[in-house]
Amino acid sequence: MTNILVCDDDKEIVDAIEIYLNQEGYRIYKAYDGEQALQKLKEVDIQLLIIDIMMPKLDGIHATLKIREYSSIPIIFLSAKSEDTDKILGLNIGADDYVTKPFNPLELVARVKSNLRRYTQLGNLNVENNALFTVGGLCINDDTKEVTVDGESVKLTPIEYNILLLLVKNQGKVFSIDQIYENIWNEEAIGADNTVAVHIRHIREKIEINPKEPRYLKVVWGVGYKIEKQ
Amino acid sequence: MDHTREQEKKEKKRKKKKGRLGMWTLHILQHAFLVTAVVLVVIVLLGSYVAVDTVKGTAAYQLMGVEQDVPFEESDVFNTLLGNSASDLICYGTIRGQLETEGQLDIKKEVDVTAFAGRYGGMEPEYITARYYLDDLLKWAQAGFSYEEVAMSGEDVDRFLSRSRTVTRINLEDYDGGRVSYLNSDLSNATTRVDVSGNLLEEGITDRDPVNATVLNNRYYTVDGKRIENHVSTWEEYYELCRNVQKAAEDLNTNYNEYLKYKEYYDPENTNVVYFIRKTIGDQVQVFGNMETQTESLAGLKKELKEQCGKYLYYNAGEMEYETNTRIEEGTIRYIINGYEYSYPKDTQIMIGVRSDYRARDCFYQANEGFQSFLPYLWQYLTGGAVCGGIYLLLLILLTMKEGRAERAADGERIFPGQPQDRIPIEPMLLAGAGIGAGFVLGIKMLVNLMWQWASDSLMIVFAGTAALLASLLFSFFYYSIVRRIKAGSIWKESLIRRLIFAVVKGVSYAYDQSDVLLRVWGTFIGLCLLNIGGGFLLAYFEYNGAVNRVLELIVVFGIFGADGIVGYMLYRSAMAKQVILKGIELIRDGDLTHKVREEGMHGEDLHLAQAVNSIGESVRTAVETSMKDERLKADLITNVSHDIKTPLTSIINYVDLIKRENVQEPKIREYIEVLDAKSQRLKQLTDDLVEASKISSGNIVLQWEKINLVELLNQTIGEFSERFETKGLHPVLNAPKGSVMIEADSRRIWRVIENLFNNIFKYALPGTRVYIDLEFLTEDEADRQIQLSVKNISAQPLKVNPAELTERFIRGDESRTTEGSGLGLSIAKNLTEAQRGRFEIVVDGDLFKVNLIFPLIQES
Repeated sequence: MTNILVCDDDKEIVDAIEIYLNQEGYRIYKAYDGEQALQKLKEVDIQLLIIDIMMPKLDGIHATLKIREYSSIPIIFLSAKSEDTDKILGLNIGADDYVTKPFNPLELVARVKSNLRRYTQLGNLNVENNALFTVGGLCINDDTKEVTVDGESVKLTPIEYNILLLLVKNQGKVFSIDQIYENIWNEEAIGADNTVAVHIRHIREKIEINPKEPRYLKVVWGVGYKIEKQ
Repeated sequence: MDHTREQEKKEKKRKKKKGRLGMWTLHILQHAFLVTAVVLVVIVLLGSYVAVDTVKGTAAYQLMGVEQDVPFEESDVFNTLLGNSASDLICYGTIRGQLETEGQLDIKKEVDVTAFAGRYGGMEPEYITARYYLDDLLKWAQAGFSYEEVAMSGEDVDRFLSRSRTVTRINLEDYDGGRVSYLNSDLSNATTRVDVSGNLLEEGITDRDPVNATVLNNRYYTVDGKRIENHVSTWEEYYELCRNVQKAAEDLNTNYNEYLKYKEYYDPENTNVVYFIRKTIGDQVQVFGNMETQTESLAGLKKELKEQCGKYLYYNAGEMEYETNTRIEEGTIRYIINGYEYSYPKDTQIMIGVRSDYRARDCFYQANEGFQSFLPYLWQYLTGGAVCGGIYLLLLILLTMKEGRAERAADGERIFPGQPQDRIPIEPMLLAGAGIGAGFVLGIKMLVNLMWQWASDSLMIVFAGTAALLASLLFSFFYYSIVRRIKAGSIWKESLIRRLIFAVVKGVSYAYDQSDVLLRVWGTFIGLCLLNIGGGFLLAYFEYNGAVNRVLELIVVFGIFGADGIVGYMLYRSAMAKQVILKGIELIRDGDLTHKVREEGMHGEDLHLAQAVNSIGESVRTAVETSMKDERLKADLITNVSHDIKTPLTSIINYVDLIKRENVQEPKIREYIEVLDAKSQRLKQLTDDLVEASKISSGNIVLQWEKINLVELLNQTIGEFSERFETKGLHPVLNAPKGSVMIEADSRRIWRVIENLFNNIFKYALPGTRVYIDLEFLTEDEADRQIQLSVKNISAQPLKVNPAELTERFIRGDESRTTEGSGLGLSIAKNLTEAQRGRFEIVVDGDLFKVNLIFPLIQES
């Protein structure tokens, strides 16, 4: 049984999250401020923490800093602060994920699952294989043409697969629509087309939890697409 | 704490006091050293001269420092005095010969006037003369010789003049050197007197020419009781004899006066000089001297002289013998004797000596006193004077450095110590200094000239010391005041000239600033014109008049040039000021609201302009700042409110979702839940958009500039929206130039603009229509090319709003507010576009809704 600690000063939100996560078969522990959360972490063996930032007594940022002194469990920030700077700060001080309020419950569940999988399974995955490409939780096995995200298999069409493989092989490099087209179709791109863009959107919908805020396949607007180097 | 501070304060005070005391001591020392130096120098000056009483009056002799180791008797002074005495005595010997018999004044001595009058030159072997008693001649000279004009007929003349003349003949062969001389004539029995008849008269010529004769009044008669005219037979002889009588009488009178002086001066009681003169003329011997002796022989006398006198000289003319232990040479004595040759025969002996006990208070005694009291200490005086002078100079330098040094006050500010006189402006101070200095020098000079006559040495020294002290005090007073001013830097600051210049400049600028603009410009211009024209006329007038005065002409020319130059300079300054103001206006216009035009050095309208510009700039800046601050406050408020809204909203959304999962069968409730779901989602969107919009409009965003390819962006966007558009049957049509169209923008912000436009189309476009997206170059101007992106669609609802209002916040085309959307989309798009240097236009034509985005292109090489 996986133990998840949910910490938020809004009791109703905690209760709602408990309902969703119980349905997925997790055991939930609750806390309503940072100090309670630290206390709970000492008492119970927790595998994942969902924590709000703005809380009385001890806020999420400081609580996370303390936890990170002794533990590496996945931590997901849950906050009404939606600015880029807030997200960057949260991720930099040691959180694994950042979900803004109001959130989509399904997305939250998906992120919990993803983080748990990465923490419990992928952490010790260590296969030497030239045909294996990984970016974070995204894994492409070019031998079996299999793509997994956080261990979950994803079904892609051949063109989608080829596009993804091209981007993963060249992590960090930005490809324009024309460049992708020429690489995949092996013919000159005459006249701009949105075919590639549509394919990319499909790939994002398949491999990302929230396609509008992609973790892997990022859109550089007006320039092209890339896989973020991790 | 307080205790120690108190102590520190006391310590400081004590130190300060000590320092002041030290300065005072130094000042007093300085005065003292100057006074000492001056006194020593005056002592040297006074002592280096010795005043002695000689026959001819008081005389000063210099005592040279080089004679310091020499005894008085070897000194220049002694030898000079002795030489003078020798000269005196030789002269005295001559006079005594003339006036004395047997060493005593003989007033009944008979004088041969012709021989006496002609004593310097030679004489005829036979001459006409008359003999008078000495006292008669002296009395006659003292009473004066008077002549009268007498007109005489021939008979009168014959009666007046003698028929024969009395001639004296000198017996040549008997006497010394065989010469006819005064000495010879002076001897008794040396002459024969013969009456000779006049040459022509003897031959019976009785009648003489009548004449107007000048006749001497015979006050006294000759030894034989005769008159002058009784001795002569012609007028020539008469006049000559008269002349001789007068000359002899006058010379004798002069010599008599001298004789009295010498007699007094060389009296044994009054002089340390011992002398003995012996002249032998024929068988006659004359002896003069003041030696108290019974000895007669020359050798004995000489011995006695040597015994009595430390210094002596002996001269025997006949034997060519000269002996002395002084520095006086034989030639000197012989030279002196030569001056009185007529009275010194070959056989003459002269002895002169000085008694070394200086018992008489004569010139030797005085000189010795001065010599002994001064010379041994000369070097000490000089060294002392030089040392004191040196110390004075050192103290002067030291005090110059120390005086007026700034003191640190408690608050760290530098304080320059000053005296009351430092506040007097420098000009009157210098003037007073120069005046007092000049007056002082003049006064001292006059006093010295006056006092020199009578004041004793010690009085002079006291006087010099006092004068030096006064001078030192005066000098210190002015000098240190100036030093303090220089250190405090207040010489120029507090000078009258500076104040005057400032007052004039201030007055002129004030008058200028107060006058009307028109008057200022026109007044200056007209004044300048008048000046130039007037000057020209003046010059022409001068030229016409033939250049009366070149200097005047030059002054006029330079005056005109000067005035022109000043006006030119003023115009230049005004132009410069306007330039500065113009620049300032441009800077403020371009957004540098903190810029201030420098008002210093501006006058008149320029000053007004600058002040006006500055105040406008200031008010604009204040307004902008206030509005920016308001916007920022608003943005902060909105952000905070949105956070507070989001938390309950989270619960709403979550619980609505949970209800949805409960598989409610009731269709009504399902419908309600759908409404709740939709509205809560909209609320979420609304809060996000609200935060974004307020942030953009308050300028609270940071842009990250990149090169953006608009074609790529449009393709990406169309790709993103393709499926959603398909659901509404919207068909995007892209018209773009080939290749890439590069602009500079923030990648995520430009996406936000396009996304909002596409969202708008998705929400409000009439389903089943085409959406045209056109990309075209606006101008062909290579330097400033722009690209226009147009998005056109057909609105599903009639558009009743003014296009300009569409970009206002919360304005939507349908006004119903029931459909989804926050009403902020276009506002955000517009603001973001403008933040990225683009233009945002909305065109509404019936149901055609068109948005134009215009961006400057990047010039691609």
